[in-house]
Amino acid sequence: MSRKKIINYSYLLSALLLILVACKKDEYTIPSPKSELSNDAIKRTLGPNIVGDTIQFAYAMALPPAKGKLVSAQVEATFAGATGTYLENKSYYTKANGQDTGVLVGQASVNSGAVTKVTFNRDTSAATLRFFYITPEEARGKTVTFTFSATSSDGGNVSYKMGPYNVAKMSLVRNLAVNNATANFISIADMKVYNAAAAATNAANIDLVYLYRAAPATFLHALVSPAADAQYLPAVTLPAGVNKSTKLMKVFNLQDYNLAYTQFGIYIDDLDFQQINLSAAPNFAINLKAEAGAWAETADGRYRAYIYMNSVNTNGSAVISIKRYDMQSK
Amino acid sequence: MAKYFKIAFSLLLLTTAFIACRKDAPVDEDGLLITDRRECYVSNFELLGTDFVTVRSKAAVIDTTAQTINVEVLFGTDLKNVYPQFSLATDCKLDPKITGKTDFSDLANPKTYTVVSGNRQIKKPYKVIIKFQ
Repeated sequence: MSRKKIINYSYLLSALLLILVACKKDEYTIPSPKSELSNDAIKRTLGPNIVGDTIQFAYAMALPPAKGKLVSAQVEATFAGATGTYLENKSYYTKANGQDTGVLVGQASVNSGAVTKVTFNRDTSAATLRFFYITPEEARGKTVTFTFSATSSDGGNVSYKMGPYNVAKMSLVRNLAVNNATANFISIADMKVYNAAAAATNAANIDLVYLYRAAPATFLHALVSPAADAQYLPAVTLPAGVNKSTKLMKVFNLQDYNLAYTQFGIYIDDLDFQQINLSAAPNFAINLKAEAGAWAETADGRYRAYIYMNSVNTNGSAVISIKRYDMQSK
Repeated sequence: MAKYFKIAFSLLLLTTAFIACRKDAPVDEDGLLITDRRECYVSNFELLGTDFVTVRSKAAVIDTTAQTINVEVLFGTDLKNVYPQFSLATDCKLDPKITGKTDFSDLANPKTYTVVSGNRQIKKPYKVIIKFQ
């Protein structure tokens, strides 16, 4: 055999050998569980974190029963949560029918500054507690971090850090009832609805008038600026000083989850308010349907808002929700 | 032998020339195919508001002889911010192009859109006449 042939054969053999070795399946070994206190956490809420709204977490902790039991669990946030912040004292499991069922494992949580704590009073070695953090005003536009920690009777101590999470600058108000007769003056600045008497005393803050007119058939539910053409304010008597021109742009099918609670995954965030251009928008929006909405910009340009129609009623009433962004906070 | 080579070479040359000289499909300045079609008309017209819901109160009336599109819009329509939509005959294109929100608020001076046929030889201007309900 020639030298060249030998080299070729040996090259081929080594290539084959390499393929064979490379394709060998790695043996799977069952991982050995941790034999000490361990923990994990997930954030349950999606979308922007809004002041006054809840950020929800689930915090799980466990240790082998032979080692001991859980003693306490706590969460420390960058900013103390607003009133209503609590750590569940129930550990949840999901039934076969999909229902979450809570089992009482500890005393009601205690808030002390930025720390929320639950002390276990049941002999338990594994629990998943939910944490409901009401975002405080002082966190607006900042980031917030959470440190979850747990202790066990064998002296174990673990912690799990979540965040940092951005807190949006925008504000949110849900389910404001408006009607033709007694609650029809809307203030974006105050995020409130006033009647005529209250509107007269807050004239400088009134941005919109809600009205319902059955005729013409395309009028129905409307949001109209006090300064709009009289044909869009039929039979409306404006209190003295209510004269602002708010820009409005009708939108359909923008069911922001924070406002509507219907479509997951649709969220209006600070960036949307910063980028929307309402310079050519009119100062009225008529024929608004349920689940429709309107972008708005106040006359002084300070606030931009999204007003969502949660529901409408042919008796001349509606329920609206507002997300509002202060352009000065940019 | 040389004779066969010559024949083969000549055939090859001819084939190459044939392929090389085949005319490219004609396209216009927008990169759209210019065809032989001479049809030139608007078949449908739609006007949408900022919420992408129609603002028409009834179907648009398209007069292909007078080259007008008559649209009646709902009371309270903001004509400064509407999206027009034209359906054209096959291979036609529109001039000017619609790039987004359009201002139709000047009712006294209706906007004119020109339909250009597939062969790019025929141009028909259509006037969009809007009136409120």
